[in-house]
Order: sequence, then C-alpha cells, then structure tokens
Amino acid sequence: MSGRRVIALVAAREIRERLRSRVFLISTLVLLLLVGGSTALNGALSRKQTYRVAVTSPAPPGLAAALQRAAKPFDDASVRLRVVASPAAGRQALEAKQIDALLLLADNRLLFRSDVDPKAAAVADTAVRAVRHHLPPSPELTPATLHPPKAKTTDAATVAAYFSSFLLLMGLAVYGQWVVTGVVEEKNNRVVELILSAVRPRHLLAGKVIGIGLLGLAQLALIAGLAAVLLVAGAFNAPAGLGSSVALVIPWFALGFALYAVAYATAGALASGQQNAETAGQPVTYTILAAYFAGYLALATSTDGLLANIFTVFPLTAPLVLPARSALVGVPLWQHVLAVVLVLATIYALVRLAGRVYGQGLLHTGPRLGPRTAWRLTRQL
Amino acid sequence: MGPRRPATADGDEALAFRHASKQFGAVQALSDCSFGVERGRMLGFLGPNGAGKTTAMRAIFGLVRLDSGELLWEGQPIGLTECLRFGYMPEERGLYPRMPVGEQLAFFGCLHGLSTAAARTAAARWLERLGLADRATAKVEELSHGNQQRVQLAAALLHGPELLVLDEPFAGLDPVAVLTLAEVLREEAARGAAVLFSSHQLELVEDICETVAIVNRGRIVATGDVIALRRRSQRRRIDLELDGAAPEWRPNVAGVEVLGRRNGGVQLLTRQDVDPRHVLAEAEQAGRVVSFSYGPPSLAELFLELVGS
Repeated sequence: MSGRRVIALVAAREIRERLRSRVFLISTLVLLLLVGGSTALNGALSRKQTYRVAVTSPAPPGLAAALQRAAKPFDDASVRLRVVASPAAGRQALEAKQIDALLLLADNRLLFRSDVDPKAAAVADTAVRAVRHHLPPSPELTPATLHPPKAKTTDAATVAAYFSSFLLLMGLAVYGQWVVTGVVEEKNNRVVELILSAVRPRHLLAGKVIGIGLLGLAQLALIAGLAAVLLVAGAFNAPAGLGSSVALVIPWFALGFALYAVAYATAGALASGQQNAETAGQPVTYTILAAYFAGYLALATSTDGLLANIFTVFPLTAPLVLPARSALVGVPLWQHVLAVVLVLATIYALVRLAGRVYGQGLLHTGPRLGPRTAWRLTRQL
Repeated sequence: MGPRRPATADGDEALAFRHASKQFGAVQALSDCSFGVERGRMLGFLGPNGAGKTTAMRAIFGLVRLDSGELLWEGQPIGLTECLRFGYMPEERGLYPRMPVGEQLAFFGCLHGLSTAAARTAAARWLERLGLADRATAKVEELSHGNQQRVQLAAALLHGPELLVLDEPFAGLDPVAVLTLAEVLREEAARGAAVLFSSHQLELVEDICETVAIVNRGRIVATGDVIALRRRSQRRRIDLELDGAAPEWRPNVAGVEVLGRRNGGVQLLTRQDVDPRHVLAEAEQAGRVVSFSYGPPSLAELFLELVGS
C-alpha cells in the first residue's frame, strides 16, 4: 500500500469530517458575510470623502457651487471651499494640513502638499472651467506640490504586503488550531492506536495537514472569489497591481501552512489527555506571533536591511516576510529560491521528526511529554 | 469445540515472539518472551494486570519497539506490509465518534489496502453478520457501548486478516455477545487465520482455545497446548462428595491440601505423585462417597499455580 494512497485517504477523511460539521459550514457563511459586509461598509465610507480646498481672495462667484457639482460624480464626494487672504496664507494652511489643496487662479495652478490627488485635481479643473465657461479638453490647471513627493510605496504594494502576512497569520491561527484539535481528539478517543497499527505516523500526519490545508485554501478561495466578484462589480476600488502581488501569497500560504501545521500536529501529539487543544498549540502560536512581529519590525525598520534580508530566507519567518517584502520592494530571485529550498527542507525534516514524536506521543497517555522527553523518545527510535 | 489438535513444533508457528524484551523505565514489561501462534489456531494470552500482554500485542504492530529479540511472521521480521494483513483490536477501544459506522469501517478497510468498493462490501457484510446492518449510517457516538464494541471488532476483521490480535475482546460483553464473539473467532481460525487474544475469563479461554501463553511480570511462565499444560502440572485436583463425614474431615494423606468446601463437597489439591486411591480409601472410611473425580487442574487453577495468587 503506497504512502500516497494512505495520505489521500486520511486527507479525504479529514475533509469529509469537516464538511459534515455545522461549525465549518457556519464559519464559512460568517466569513462570506463579513467580506460582503465590509465591502458594503467600504463603499458607504468612501462616499463620505470631502476635499478641503482653499482659494485666494477674492473667490470668483459660483466657484463653490461649481466645485460641489464637479465633485458629485466622484462617489458623491463634496468640497469644502475656504477663502484665504493671500497665496502665502494658503501655503501656510496647506502646510498645517488644514486644507488638502490650494487653488491659485492667477497662475492656473493647483497646489498639493506632497502628493497630487488626481480626483481632487479633476474636480477643481472641471469646476474652474465651468466658472470660466471654457470647454474641454485643454486643462485649465497645472497640479503641483509644495514638496517633492515622498519616496514611498504604492497603496497596492502596502495592501498586498499587509494582506499576505495577515492572511497567513489568520489562516494558521484558524486552520492550525483545527490540526491540533484533530490530533488531540484522535489521541483522546484512542482511535489513533488502531490507525497506527496500519499506517506510518508521518503519513497520518501528512494526510491530516494536507486535508485541513486544502479545506482551508478552498474556504479562502471561496472568500477571495466573492471579493473578486465584488471587485468586478465595482463595489470597491482595488489598488492597481494588487493581483500580481497576491499571486505570491497563495504558494507561500501553502508552504507556511505546511510548516506550521506540522509543528501544530506535533504539539497536539505531545499533549496530555486532559490538556485541551488550545493550550497544546500555544508554543507554536507564540512562535508564529514572534516570527510575525520580528518580520514586521525588520521590514518597518528597513525593507532592505540585514535583518529583513535574513528574515526573508529564514524558514520560520520566510512565509510571513517574503511575500510582504516582495510586494514592498521586490526580492532578488536567489532569495526566492533559497527561501523555498530552506522551507521545503525544514518541512521535510519536521515531518520526519514529528512523525516519530507523533507515533510515540500519541500512545503516551500519562502526563504531558516535555520537549526533552520527546527528544529522548525520538532518539530511541 | 472441535477436536483438539496436539501442539506442534515451533516451525509451524505463523507468528513468533523470539526472546522479546522491552523495558519502560524501571519496569521490565517483557523479558525474554518466546511463544507463537499457528494459523488456524486460537491462542489465549493470559496474565495478571500489568504482566505485559498489551505491550506484547502492541509490539506486533510496531507500536512498541522491542529492546531486544524479534517478532516474526512466517519466519520474516514484521514490517508495515505484514501489519496490513493483520487485524487489531486495541485494549483501549477507539473509533471516530462523529463518523458514520459504515463509512468508518470502509475507511479502515481502505487503510488496510482494500479497494474502496471491496471495503464497502466488506463493511456491509460484517455489519450484517454482527447485527448492525440497520445502523450503517448512524454515527458511532449514537451507538450503545456494546454496539460500539461490535463495530470495533468489525474494524479488526473487515479485511480478512491472516492474524487477529485482540486485546481483551470479551471484556464488557453480555453473555449473548460473548457467544457470538467466540463463534466469530472460531470461524476466523477455521478460515485459516491465526488468532491471538488476551482475556481474564479463564473458563472461557479453556473452552475455546487449544493453546495458551501465560505471562507474569514480563516472563512467559507457560505456553502450549492447554491439555498438555494442565497434565504437566505438578498438581492434581480431586472433587469429592461425601455423606456422613465430619464437616472438617480431611484425608490424612501427605501432599494433599483442602482447596475449599461447598455444597456438601470438598475440593482437594494434591501433588501429582499422590495416588488418588489413597484419598478415596480415606474418604470411604469417613463416610459414604457420593462422587469422586480426579484429574489435572483447570486452566484457572493452573494459572493461579503459575502466577501465584
């Protein structure tokens, strides 16, 4: 009997068992509602956009109304117009962040602080042309900024980076816990002895992790699918380039999940009969959180610093750091390759080690096995 | 009970423990254990609690790794491939509580190498045989304890194993279920399977097993044909019913001790070399002998003799 068939059988059983459970179906429904709900909320919030614009005295008659009309098509945005005494006073207000843009009609210029807001620029341009009864297409206003634009990453990259790490963190928290619970239950209801009489521990472990992982991915895909449908329907605006950054998230989710789920399974196998699944998984959860925050801090300090580079390839942090860093600044190919190789090697080693601890720990019914005991058990094999 | 066949030489043993030893911390769970089971036979594996029975059974499936010695199936070391041809009922019963009975059995059948279709057929057949055909879609947790036990048995039998290893299969069964299980085990042996099971119900073991292995503190203290073992005992048993004798009467013969008195009878234990005719002669002098039987000790008595009460 091939290991592959055993793994497939175990994985299929895991999936069937969870599809049968109401908890899974309800949690999927709740997640779908959350995505739908947050999209609706996002839409509702984005309509409340108000542009604060100042113009030097005297303001041409009808400008305020024209601005209001021009803003209307932009998600029902509104414009609050303020009149300032002089361009200098306007610049001061802009610097003090009291306004978003300063309209200098004498120079046909629209001044922003450091970044040009294309929407605000379009609104002002349309309004000024309306007031002057000029026709399109020649633009009336030249957008400019007080300061050169900051060298910062685009919204899309930040969203993708944030999204990928967070997705993995959440996925591990939810599906990793399923793995621990499954292992602890199997151990507590003793079915594991019957299974291990016919199946290698590492095949049982791999089947469990793959089954739950596939189900987790399917659940995520369902949610991502809904988000995609809403996106196409124009329910919310996605930053351009999000798709390509997210493409990296899927394989790294799979790798990261495999790595940490195996660790979760080992933790479950070491749990004592009385210990509940939450407590059993804690050491792994803390490791993930530590990896997440270490990676976050390293990236926040410097996206290209030594720590960021190390964490990109270090197996425990790579799944959390690499997709994020790749979205933010790009990662050289050799680091991609090295990270994948190291993570795969770690998974392989962990599966073998966990398989042994698993086989020993699962039949151990006494108090919780400490790491030292587990290691000794492993060496006995 | 079929006619008992004499115990055969080691070479016929399909499953063989050879000098198996295992230590857990300070506890010697198995110590130089050698015994075996033939195909087509049932071996009762006996011993007090903690004697090492479960450890020995787990060792067959590699769930416990021996410190020394070996475990052979038809002369070859046992690996996972061999284990797939074995059926196991662990001492601590366990099934997936929320999985339907039929699906669960099919799953275990598949794990033992049956095709999905064959596993489903076998599951249905065994549920029918054990009187659970109408519960195939019920979850295990919805079944009574006795019925869960039957599902557990079906999980061990489903794939037509060549060796059956059952840890305390009769524990907690009602008398009807005991009969059914005994019948099933006999059928399995008749089919050609080697059957190894542990039990504390010694009368039952004597009833259905041709051979036994008795383990005490990790050591095999006796193994072989039940009748031969009983005959080889250093003791004999005399059951005597006597009218008109004093209640505290005891034969004045060296090497005879009173085991007990009940229902107007007296049970005696003698050394093997004591001539029962001396005891009978003494009894006839003391009163009227209603009945007198002499023979080797029962399995239960032999067990107590070997293991110590």
